[in-house]
Amino acid sequence: MNRSLVTRVAAHPWVLTLVLVALVWIVAGFTLRGFGSWGHLRYLLELSAVIGIVAAGQTLVVIAGGIDLSVGAVMTVSAILLPLLSPADDPTGLAGIGATLAIATGIGILNGAGAAYLRVPPIIMTLAMATFLQGLLIIVAGGSAVSVSNPAVIWLGSARPLGLPAGVILWILVSAATLYALHRTPFGARLMAIGANPIASRLSGLAVDRASVRLYSASGFLAGVAGILLLGMNRQGYAGIGDPYLLSSIAAVVLGGTSILGGRGTYAGTVPGAILLVTSTALITVVNASPGWRSIMFGSLILALLLVSGREARR
Amino acid sequence: MSAEPSMPLNEATVEARGVHRGFFGNPVLKGVDIALRPGRVHALLGENGAGKSTLINLLSGALLPHAGEVIVDGGSVSRFSPEAARRAGIAVVQQELSLVSELSIAENIGLGAYPRRFGLVDYGALAEGVEQVCRLVGIQENRGTPISALPLGRRQMVEIAKALFRRPRVLILDEPTSSLSAHEAGVLADLVLRLRDEGLAVLYISHRLNEVLALCSHVTVLKDGVVTADRSLAGVSPDELVRLMVGRDAEHLFPSWSPVAGKEIVRLEGFCAGSARDVSFHARRGEVVGVGGLVGQGQEDFLQGLYGAVAARAEAVSIAGSASLPKSVEAANALGIAYVPADRKRESLVLTHSIAINLALPSIGRLARGWSRSRHAEAELVSDLSARLAIKGDPARPVQALSGGNQQKVALAKWLPLKPAILLLNDPTRGVDLDTKREIYRMLRALAADGTLVVLMSSDTPELVHLCDRVYVFREGRVSGVLAHGTISEEAIVGAALGLPERKAA
Repeated sequence: MNRSLVTRVAAHPWVLTLVLVALVWIVAGFTLRGFGSWGHLRYLLELSAVIGIVAAGQTLVVIAGGIDLSVGAVMTVSAILLPLLSPADDPTGLAGIGATLAIATGIGILNGAGAAYLRVPPIIMTLAMATFLQGLLIIVAGGSAVSVSNPAVIWLGSARPLGLPAGVILWILVSAATLYALHRTPFGARLMAIGANPIASRLSGLAVDRASVRLYSASGFLAGVAGILLLGMNRQGYAGIGDPYLLSSIAAVVLGGTSILGGRGTYAGTVPGAILLVTSTALITVVNASPGWRSIMFGSLILALLLVSGREARR
Repeated sequence: MSAEPSMPLNEATVEARGVHRGFFGNPVLKGVDIALRPGRVHALLGENGAGKSTLINLLSGALLPHAGEVIVDGGSVSRFSPEAARRAGIAVVQQELSLVSELSIAENIGLGAYPRRFGLVDYGALAEGVEQVCRLVGIQENRGTPISALPLGRRQMVEIAKALFRRPRVLILDEPTSSLSAHEAGVLADLVLRLRDEGLAVLYISHRLNEVLALCSHVTVLKDGVVTADRSLAGVSPDELVRLMVGRDAEHLFPSWSPVAGKEIVRLEGFCAGSARDVSFHARRGEVVGVGGLVGQGQEDFLQGLYGAVAARAEAVSIAGSASLPKSVEAANALGIAYVPADRKRESLVLTHSIAINLALPSIGRLARGWSRSRHAEAELVSDLSARLAIKGDPARPVQALSGGNQQKVALAKWLPLKPAILLLNDPTRGVDLDTKREIYRMLRALAADGTLVVLMSSDTPELVHLCDRVYVFREGRVSGVLAHGTISEEAIVGAALGLPERKAA
C-alpha cells in the first residue's frame, strides 16, 4: 500500500510538486502571520497566473524537445505595443488585444519556421529573436514606460468576477485548453513522440516541421497573453518587464516534472510548479535581505527544488 | 603475376588459433584460424555478417577472443590489447575513416604517434616522416591542408599513409578501394606489392574479386563464423571463390508460396536518390521483391527515396497511381507506402513510450473524432494488432522493455492498419530470433497474397533466395542484376553483388 503510493508518485512527478506546494502553504500559513489569509493567497495565485500562462507554451515546446528563450521578450513586446496599438475610438479595447496577440503569434511562427525549415537550433533561434526584439523595442518605445488605458486590459488586471481575479480565471481556461491539447488530441500525442524521437516520428509520417511551427506560434501567443495580463496588473509597460519570466517559465516546467530533454511531461505539473515559484519568492521577500541576497537565495532555491522534484531520471 | 616464392613458409608474424567470439550469446566466430606471414598478401573473403570485422578486431586487439589464442612471432599473448597490437607492429586501415576533419594531413598522419622533443611535438621530425609516407602513397596535396577539404578517396589515402607512418610489420586493409578512383586504386595496388616485397604481412579484405586475384596469393574464406577455405589462390577462378563464400543449408524457415502477380503498381526509369543512381525498377501487387547486394551500395537510399524521406528524382515514374514521387513521408503514407527502417531503436520506435502509443502512432489522426483522440478506437486497434502479431506483454509498458524480435513486430505492426499498398522493409530480421523471423516471413508472404507489394531489402542472402519473386541486386548505387523467379540463388546474388558478368541460368 505504502510502497505502491510511493511508486505511483514516482511515476507521476507532478504529484510531488503538488504535495510540495500544499506543504509549503500549510507550514507557512501556520507560521507566518497573514500568509494564510484569502487576500494573500489570492494575490499569490494572481502572480502565478502570469507565470503559468507563459509556461503553458513553454511546456508544449519543451515536451516536443525544443525550448523557447524568447518568451520574456515577447511578453515585453506585448506589454509595450498594446497601448500603442489600441485605437482610442474602440470602447471595448479588444481590437488592440487582437492586434497584439497577432504580432506575438507571428513572432512565434518565425521562431518555429526558423527552427523547422532553416534548421537553426531552437536555443539559438529563440535567443536571437529575443535579442532582436529587445533592440526593436528600444527603437520603437525609447526608454520610457507606457501607460495602459485599454479598458479590456484594465478589466483583466483588476476585475474579480465570482470573487476570483480575472487573471486567475483566464489561467484556468488556458490550463484546461493546454491539458486538453496535450492529453486528448492527436497533436499532443505527436508532440510527445517528436520530443522523444524526432527521427522515428518523421519516418512514422508525423509532420514534424509543421508541428514545430504550430508549437512555437502557440508559445508566442501564450507569451503575448501573459504579457497583456501583466500589463493589466501593472498598468504600465516598460522595457524589461517580461525578462524575469523567461527563467520562471522554464523553472516552472521543469519543477513540474517535465523532462527538459523532451518526450515526457504534463502541464498538470507546471501549474503547481508556477505556484511553488511564486510562493518561494514571496517567502524570500519576507526575509529581510538586500535585493542581491534575495536573488542569490532565489537561484539557490530553484536549484534545491529541482533536486527534490525535477531531477532527470537516469536513462 | 603474384607468384608466391616457393621457399619454406616464413614464421607467421601474427596468428589467430581457434578463436571464438560472440556477442550477447550469439556466436560470430566459431574456432577460426588465420596466419599472416611476412612477404605475403593474404585475402579475407566472406559475405556480410560472416565475421570478417570481428576477426579484424581480434587481430588488432580491439576485442578479446572468448576462446583460442592470438600468437605474435610464435609466442602466445594472453591479453592482446590495442597497445600490444601496436607494439607488435599491427596497423589497421578501417572501413570507417578515423581521421579528424579539422586537423591537417600531416597532423592526422602523425596523430597518436607524434615525435617528441623536450615534451613538445617535434614538428620537424613529424614533417620528415610525413613527407616519406606521403610520397609512398602518392599524396601531392599540401601537408597542411585540413582533411575536411579532401574528397573521400584522398582521405582514404591519408588513412593508409597514417598506418604506414607507424612502420608496421602487419598491415590490415579493410575494403581499402571502396572509395578510391581507378587511378588511386592502381597506386594502392603497386604500393601493396612493394610493401609485400619489403617483407610486410598484408591482410586484404575486399569484395572486388579481380583485385583479390591480382594482389593476393593466399585466401581465407569465412562463412557463418567458420573457415571454409584456407588455401593458395593459384589457379582459383572467381566462380570458385563465390562458391566458397555461399552455399549453406536452406533452413526450414521459409513459408511455401506460389507467385500471384497482380497489376503493376511501381514503374521507375532513371531513379536517383542519394547514392542510388539511374535505377530502373518495376513491380506488381502481390510480389515480394528483394533488394540485395553488399552493405551500403545505395539500397537504403533507394527505399528512402521511394518513401519521400530523402530527395529523389526520376525520368519516368508511376507509383501507387501517382505520376510523381512522394515529396514527403506524409505524401508517401497518403499513397499507401509504408517503410520499416533497419535501425529500430533510432528510426522506428519511440523507445521510452508505451507499446500502445507506438502501435497507434501512425493511426492516431485517422482514429480521432473531431479534435479529440478516440481512446476507445485506439485501444481496440492496439489489442487487435497485439493479438494478430502475438506481441507479448502489457501494451502500457515501454516498448524498450521488449525483446528485439518483439520490438521489430511492433515496428511492423504499426503500419498494418494503414493497409499499405507498398510495404518497404529495410533489413527487417536483423538481430531478430529465429521464431520471430519465421513469423515475419509468413506475414510478408500473407501480405503479398492479399495484394500488397512487399519490397524487402536484406543483407541476409537466404532471405532473398527463399522469400522473393524477383531480386534487384545493387552495386555501387546501380542495379547490377535483376534475378527472375527460378534464377535466384545465393551464387547468382553474390555474383551480381561482386560485379561478375551474369551467367545464363541453367
